Amino acid sequence: MELSQFIQNLMNGLAIGSVYAIFALGYTLVFSILGIINFAHGAVFTLGAYFTYTLVVGQFENNGLLKGVNLFPDGSPFSGQPLTFALATLLGATLAGLVAVLIERLAFRPMRSRGADPLLALVSSLGVALVIVNLIQLLVGAEIYNFPSNAYGDTPPALSFTLGGKIVIIRTVQVIIFAVSLVMLAVLGYVIGRTKIGKALRAVAESPTTASLLGISVDRFILITFFLSGFLGGLAGTLVGTAFGVAGPYFGVVYGLKGLAVIVLGGLGSIPGAVLGGLVIGLAEAFVPSQYSAYKDAVAFALLFVILLVRPQGLLGRSAIQKV
Amino acid sequence: MTDFLSTYGFLIVTMLQAGLLGLSLYFPLQAGQLSLASPGFYSLGGYVAAILLTNPAFAGLRDTLGNAMFPLTWLVAAVLAGLLGLLVGVPALRLRGIYLALATIAFVEVLRVISLNLSITGGAIGLFGIPQPFGIVDRWQYVFIFGPLLILTLLFARQMERSRVGRALRAIREDELAADAMGVPPTRYKVLAFVTGAVLAGIVGAMSAPLLSSWNARQGTFDASIAILAFVLIGGSRHTWGPVVGGALLTAVPEVLRFLADWRLVINGLVLVVASLYLPQGIVGALEKLGRPRPPQRPTPVKPAEVRP
Repeated sequence: MELSQFIQNLMNGLAIGSVYAIFALGYTLVFSILGIINFAHGAVFTLGAYFTYTLVVGQFENNGLLKGVNLFPDGSPFSGQPLTFALATLLGATLAGLVAVLIERLAFRPMRSRGADPLLALVSSLGVALVIVNLIQLLVGAEIYNFPSNAYGDTPPALSFTLGGKIVIIRTVQVIIFAVSLVMLAVLGYVIGRTKIGKALRAVAESPTTASLLGISVDRFILITFFLSGFLGGLAGTLVGTAFGVAGPYFGVVYGLKGLAVIVLGGLGSIPGAVLGGLVIGLAEAFVPSQYSAYKDAVAFALLFVILLVRPQGLLGRSAIQKV
Repeated sequence: MTDFLSTYGFLIVTMLQAGLLGLSLYFPLQAGQLSLASPGFYSLGGYVAAILLTNPAFAGLRDTLGNAMFPLTWLVAAVLAGLLGLLVGVPALRLRGIYLALATIAFVEVLRVISLNLSITGGAIGLFGIPQPFGIVDRWQYVFIFGPLLILTLLFARQMERSRVGRALRAIREDELAADAMGVPPTRYKVLAFVTGAVLAGIVGAMSAPLLSSWNARQGTFDASIAILAFVLIGGSRHTWGPVVGGALLTAVPEVLRFLADWRLVINGLVLVVASLYLPQGIVGALEKLGRPRPPQRPTPVKPAEVRP
């Protein structure tokens, strides 16, 4: 492989891998506290992208019940500047986080308080995902919506430089995705590792009962966890949406599944594991030779299957001791 | 009657089919193993039947066998699904709980991507023009194919539950370590339950290929995995009838909700949420609870007499 091609693939892999990482962190946070997989996470991802799109563009002109409604008849205040676009992204992610909080209140908490079979959480979270996805379809249709090219100001579409006589082109949006994901990971690492909230979250993850005996309001921290999870999911959705377009109500499904592969690869419930798993899967996909690109979507799952058989606790996970 | 059958005949067949797929997940669940692999084996069975019934390589065999070709496809699908189940099950069943669920989801996805890319499976377009068995002209007549299979499977499940195998599976579900200590080899029984489910899903797939008259990679997806899990859990995961009732009802819900037009799928999602919240034991479990006499009311505790020194 030529060096220019290598760098190109590396950048593709890092950009998508870092998105996988922040998206999968949303799964990991919820899993480490409740021990369940929230199948609605992929739908929250989709929702985040749609929220940001709504803020930046203000209307969905193609189809659905909201066709013809324009939120900003005089042009969106969020469009055209890097800073305002960043603000819209954060707002979109925040809204997604609030939806995740709502999901916890309506679909997970009642089940916990009844002591239902934890497997049922899989079914009810999938029910929530169905509701969200079909509501999106009902409201704005199934068309692909692309962010306008000037949405984040007049940045050049790509950076190019020559290397060993070959031109290497890196899309600006990939650099942005990678940078934003890194910043997000750093912030999250700080919040969980260094702040009081993070300490409480870790305590709840270790043992909800002990944490509540120590005066930590477990329910409140579960809500915070869901908010963080939804925020990360929504942010990841916006990032993917800016790079490849907001591709219809179902575009979170693939990411939802790959996120599962990521968290298992890294180790269920492990935060550094989710980051590592995301990057590994992103890079593995980017380096699939082009003649096998049809099998690209299977890479993550083949990796998942193999890792489960060889090292079920994942790359960085702790193996739980089975107590009798 | 003809009107009723032409309108709802296909729905009734798919209700039976859903019940059968629910049962295929119910078998491993009896041993406490959450496997979501059924759509993979279902898809495999369908492809086996579709290939045997349409591929020119088997034209001679089809001419010789005539209608006996269809039972042959069921048999081949059952054997291949069973073998694949053994191949996947032996390593995968060392995993527990959510890990097994995720491994089986990965298995279904890998199979899906492979079937999308092979030429023998027709790639993304799939296979079509699958002939109808036994001169079936209307799709409701598939009741006579799926119905007997459902009855046989229910009888089989009932016999199995009462047998040594059934007791072993329940012992493993309640406590794998204790079962092992009592001389029940967990891995062997778990693989047995898993393969039973795989064989059933494979046969259902082979029967469904002519029903749909075409077969493609959309038949075995992650969504189907969770849908089948919903059949079992909402029907009642501790009772043989649960998956059948759950499959039939949940398949009928979107049809019943047809009057809601565009809101139908939204409400369908809500039904799943509400059912998991309010029917934690499943429909059959809730009915059973209704039928059981209520436990006697606890007598109100008598206040201890105040003792003064």
